[in-house]
Amino acid sequence: MPFARWDRRITPYLFVAPFFALFAVFGLYPLLRTAWMSLHRWDLLDGPVAFTGLANYAELFTDPHFYNALANTASIFLAATVPQLLAALGIAALLDRPLRGRTAWQAVVLLPNVVPVVAVALVFTQLLGRDQGLVAWVLASLGASPLDWQAHAWSAHLGVALMVIWRWTGYNALLYLAAMQSVPRELHEAAALDGASRARAFRSVTLPGIRPTLVFTAVVSTIGGLQLFAEPTLFGGASAGGNDRQFQTLVMYLYENGFERFDAGYAATISWVLFALCAVLAFANTALVRRFVGRG
Amino acid sequence: MRRVRASRSLPALVVALALVVAGCGGAGDGGKLRLTVATFGEFGYEPLFEEYERAHPEVDVVGRVADFDAHHKGLVTALAAGRGAADVVAVEEQYMPRMRQSARQFADLSAFGARELRDRWPRWKWEPGVAEGGDYVFGLGTDMGSLAMCYRRDLFERAGLPTDRDAVAALWPTWEAYAQVAERFAARVPDAAFADSAGTVYTAVLNQAEENYFAKADDSFIGDTNPNVLRAFRIAGAIGAAGRTAKVTTFTQPWNAAINRGGFATITCPAWMLAQIKEAGGADGAGKWDVTEVPGDGGNWGGSYLAVPAQGAHQREAYRLAEWLTAPEQQEKLFVRDGILPSEPEVYRDPVVLEHTDPYFGDAPVGRLFAASSDTVRPNHRGVRDADVRPVFGRALGRVENGAQSVDQAWEQAVREARDVLR
Repeated sequence: MPFARWDRRITPYLFVAPFFALFAVFGLYPLLRTAWMSLHRWDLLDGPVAFTGLANYAELFTDPHFYNALANTASIFLAATVPQLLAALGIAALLDRPLRGRTAWQAVVLLPNVVPVVAVALVFTQLLGRDQGLVAWVLASLGASPLDWQAHAWSAHLGVALMVIWRWTGYNALLYLAAMQSVPRELHEAAALDGASRARAFRSVTLPGIRPTLVFTAVVSTIGGLQLFAEPTLFGGASAGGNDRQFQTLVMYLYENGFERFDAGYAATISWVLFALCAVLAFANTALVRRFVGRG
Repeated sequence: MRRVRASRSLPALVVALALVVAGCGGAGDGGKLRLTVATFGEFGYEPLFEEYERAHPEVDVVGRVADFDAHHKGLVTALAAGRGAADVVAVEEQYMPRMRQSARQFADLSAFGARELRDRWPRWKWEPGVAEGGDYVFGLGTDMGSLAMCYRRDLFERAGLPTDRDAVAALWPTWEAYAQVAERFAARVPDAAFADSAGTVYTAVLNQAEENYFAKADDSFIGDTNPNVLRAFRIAGAIGAAGRTAKVTTFTQPWNAAINRGGFATITCPAWMLAQIKEAGGADGAGKWDVTEVPGDGGNWGGSYLAVPAQGAHQREAYRLAEWLTAPEQQEKLFVRDGILPSEPEVYRDPVVLEHTDPYFGDAPVGRLFAASSDTVRPNHRGVRDADVRPVFGRALGRVENGAQSVDQAWEQAVREARDVLR
């Protein structure tokens, strides 16, 4: 039966082929093309000007604006991700118990995530407005002086982090919840029989049980954090991220170079460094979570 | 038409992508030739398109309007991709030096006879639209901004200042005098700022000078040594450091809100800004604002060109449309209906334009004011890398305004950053 054998051997590949075809067109090709561009002085309008080898990379690694953007990205990432994942764990733990109207609660928790990022950013920017914002009004009624959120690094980072937390906490909570519900009940029962407190059971049963999901959310948050763009751009109204670049993220710097200064080669260089960073941090994350949570 | 100091727009990227995907050109309904015209802000072209279609039944003109940033980023992306640009595109003057460097991305309109149109415009408006020593014509001038000063009559009255527009103009023959009026104003009206932002003042002062960041002769960077730049920076910086500005960035939502609630008393206004003040101020603002002469000499801020991308399939037809849209008759119609200031002397010296008044601004003789300022325009040279340097100085003034740096510190950092960016 040569056809059946051929069929069995080839058909699975045909089934997965669409993904790889799409990946080649929208993933691999841009990746390679960007790498090629990063080796040139490449004008967005005029195309390649000169082959410069690794000169763009050399310039980037001595560029203070790059390190500034990197530090801002890291700071906003920490301010956004740590509280976000902790809150998500807490919300998931609250939802993971008999609750009236559970589906409704789950839907509510996910709601912020379905609001488009542009809308979220515009609303938060207005809420945090210096002259007319709701937060300014609350601060004033408490006797505090109005805060120009964009003017200082700490307040700008906090403002951007708030938007990220608002959008993604519920999403992560639902992921955790799904994982928690797949932890075998017998383990919890056994822990209860052994006299473990609720906190102890959470630490020794739940957390190890949802380890793959913890890794997943940590990796996804890291990649999302590194690619942060829309929120801070809309918050400051420009890709420079404040008068002293105090909240310019890496992707904003990429955008500034590529689309405001038309330096596509340099922008491509930044995007490749960003790609490498994402990869490294994803691996580091996996390793870290493994160590802290231990084997299940 | 509308010019901003740096990119300040919102979903520019999204719109840019959408424009690329949308594509354009080609045959319209019923075998008609469809020409797309991409503009930004308010060009007032819609009625003209209908008029053109009536005169040319074989053509179907489709307008596409985006905001300033989305339009230009979309255009750049489309040019870089080699497809997706409209048949006729608007380009604002601050983008012209950069487009001129890539002039081959646009059709050479001299092939269709554009060189004969030269006498329509003053030299300063014609020159940015030509490349390669003037032989390659790629842009035809539309409007211009000119310069005037808008002020709030009600706030001036509270400050005990004159409200009559000639008397107000007499208050500030120079920018130094303007800064003194700011102090007089602040002493009497503590709850409103005098100007919207240091950046607007800076732009106006700088636009009255012939040279700013780059030398006219060889396009070398002179922003660090040119006294015009330092003077503009010092004047605007001092007003900002003294807290006389509302610290709102032009064209943003807080800027609109500040106009609406009378947050500042004066703003340097090119002709195209009147429409934005009206929009932000709403019906309640009618009669509160007035327009008078700007301190210093006349100047220009903004204005655009129409170009025909070389990737278009119907360049000759697109040129005919662009030529018609920028013709004196059309410029006059645009001014009378929408206040869009003509860049052609023949038009802005026309009695119809000169006698035009604006009821929203207390019947201010806007035609005469803007035309007078236009006649004294000293065209300012824009360097090819103007867009790299300009935002650096804008941000420096922002740091002065929010008290992070002194004028001197901000200047020093700006000069350093400008040199770095040009390396």
